[in-house]
Amino acid sequence: MARNSIFKIVGVALGLGFLMACSLISPETSFAATHPQELGAGRPICSECHSSDVAKGAQKPYAAFDHTPTFVKDHRFQANQDSNTCAACHAQSFCADCHGGKVPMKPSTRFSDRPDLQSPHRGDFMAQHRIEGKMDPSSCYACHGRANNEKCAACHR
Amino acid sequence: MKPRTQVVLLATLMSATAWGQEVSLYGTTMAQMWKQETPGFDKATFTPATQYLGIDATKLGSDNLSLHLFGWGRTDLSDASNFDGSKSGGFLNYGYLQYRFDQANAEIKAGRFTANQATGFEQVDGVSVRTDLRGGFSVSAFGGKPVYFKTVDPRNQTDYEYQRDFIFGTRFAWRMPKVGEIGVSYLQDGTQAAKDLDIPSPVDYTRKQLGVDIRITPASVFDLRGRTIFDVASHPDQAPGTRDRSRIAEHDYTATVKVGNQVTVTGNFAERNFYAFFAGTNLPSLFRQDDNDMFRGFGGSVTWNAPTGVQLVADYRHMHRETVGDVNRGGGEIRWASSEKTFLAGVGAHWVNAANTLFVDPARPYRSLSHKEARIWGMVTQGKFTASLDGILQRYDKDNPYLVGIKNIYEVVGSLGYQATSNVKVSGDISYGSTAVAKHETRGLLRAEYRFGFARKGGR
Repeated sequence: MARNSIFKIVGVALGLGFLMACSLISPETSFAATHPQELGAGRPICSECHSSDVAKGAQKPYAAFDHTPTFVKDHRFQANQDSNTCAACHAQSFCADCHGGKVPMKPSTRFSDRPDLQSPHRGDFMAQHRIEGKMDPSSCYACHGRANNEKCAACHR
Repeated sequence: MKPRTQVVLLATLMSATAWGQEVSLYGTTMAQMWKQETPGFDKATFTPATQYLGIDATKLGSDNLSLHLFGWGRTDLSDASNFDGSKSGGFLNYGYLQYRFDQANAEIKAGRFTANQATGFEQVDGVSVRTDLRGGFSVSAFGGKPVYFKTVDPRNQTDYEYQRDFIFGTRFAWRMPKVGEIGVSYLQDGTQAAKDLDIPSPVDYTRKQLGVDIRITPASVFDLRGRTIFDVASHPDQAPGTRDRSRIAEHDYTATVKVGNQVTVTGNFAERNFYAFFAGTNLPSLFRQDDNDMFRGFGGSVTWNAPTGVQLVADYRHMHRETVGDVNRGGGEIRWASSEKTFLAGVGAHWVNAANTLFVDPARPYRSLSHKEARIWGMVTQGKFTASLDGILQRYDKDNPYLVGIKNIYEVVGSLGYQATSNVKVSGDISYGSTAVAKHETRGLLRAEYRFGFARKGGR
């Protein structure tokens, strides 16, 4: 009897909670799933076409998404806050090219026919990594801290 | 997840693509070849063949339901290139069903996906949800089994898997048009602490982090973004007399100011305390929590986008690591793109001044890690043909302790490609260089890229 009462109370509370949560959801239409126009090669400067208005969904000026060198380097902040905006142009595989968790080769080898890309670890990074890792191991950690470490573990036991 | 379960799950997901009204398949097939002659090791010839494959199937019964798969497999046709001697490998990078609602940017994902909305960047086998709320608020959450990478020392693997049994994270944010966004997030990786093991583990893989992220963009000329991550896990008591561990895992902030239409100035500050920041690593021998070390860096860059297609970037960064010392890095790059972007080129140079980095070596306490790097590249598209050339040179100080007296390391990569159809491209690369272990090294690579179906989004 007591157990039934508890189930009823929890059920009613969950139902009310669900209805309340539904009423809190924004009525706005979702951001476009894909960019309506095909974009050309190279890094897009969004503010060239979207002059002063804010990006729907992200609620930030389009200039905040201009693919400047700083944007490319610090894109994790945008991915963290506005992954829907990224997804309008980029498929998930774009992220997985570098951030796949476990990848068979470094990005600069996979895209060695694209020197214009900002691929990390160009040249003989096996020599360079001992210096970079000494200076700032936290920069290695973002990609190698919890993933793709089989080659690291061969020496760093 | 056991391999058999993975195969069954993958087969089920792939069969679901048959329901898709719009299916696109894309992949890259690559064959590489290089020879290795390293002093002290047997000569070896490597010819790995690698296949990347992705499938996006949309409108699975409903316009809002889609399936996304991406993974790779590799086999060695001659000597084994894997360090464990095996000749094959593969991985499912992601495989998830996604339901995207027409309202509130809401979505649900189930399967293997990458979660980046909390403090970390995690691969998870589980479920993820997000939605916008009224008043500019949004909420997201994910939970599931963290994807393992069997790289922890086998003696500690059980501890690692025991502690990292479940991962979940959530983020609650508020955004206001033309002001910015602030978010609060929580991430917990593992529900059982090292102290709960029958034999307490020396490494505490459990991670509990609270994050605060901000983005202030009052106008298109100013942008401040960054985050601070706090370590909120309970840890064993420290040994008496040791330096207090910081509860701040990371500060990382970048400000950008646009001066007119052509110039952008940025400044960055970052601090990371390793005990908190390295929590949850699967390579504790490298990312050492117990060193209780700290990194702090600041710097900036100036970018000038000239109307003639020229982009000029100058950058500088000062870095300080408590157990190593100070390092300064600076340099610049010029890029040029023709109006139709059929010709792109760049030249850049950077120097690293690390002449007084500290080592635990009483005989020679200071050794130089200083070096310079120069790079030049070009890329041409003419009709269906593409060609590129990329050269990089690194020049080190002669007393660098890691390079057995070698001063110059370089690599030149040349590539030719042919766009057979709008969906198929074949290309071949050849590279030549000198490394710390091989005075002369030549590598070859053949690549076929293809994309079939309806997808409009770019893979890169």
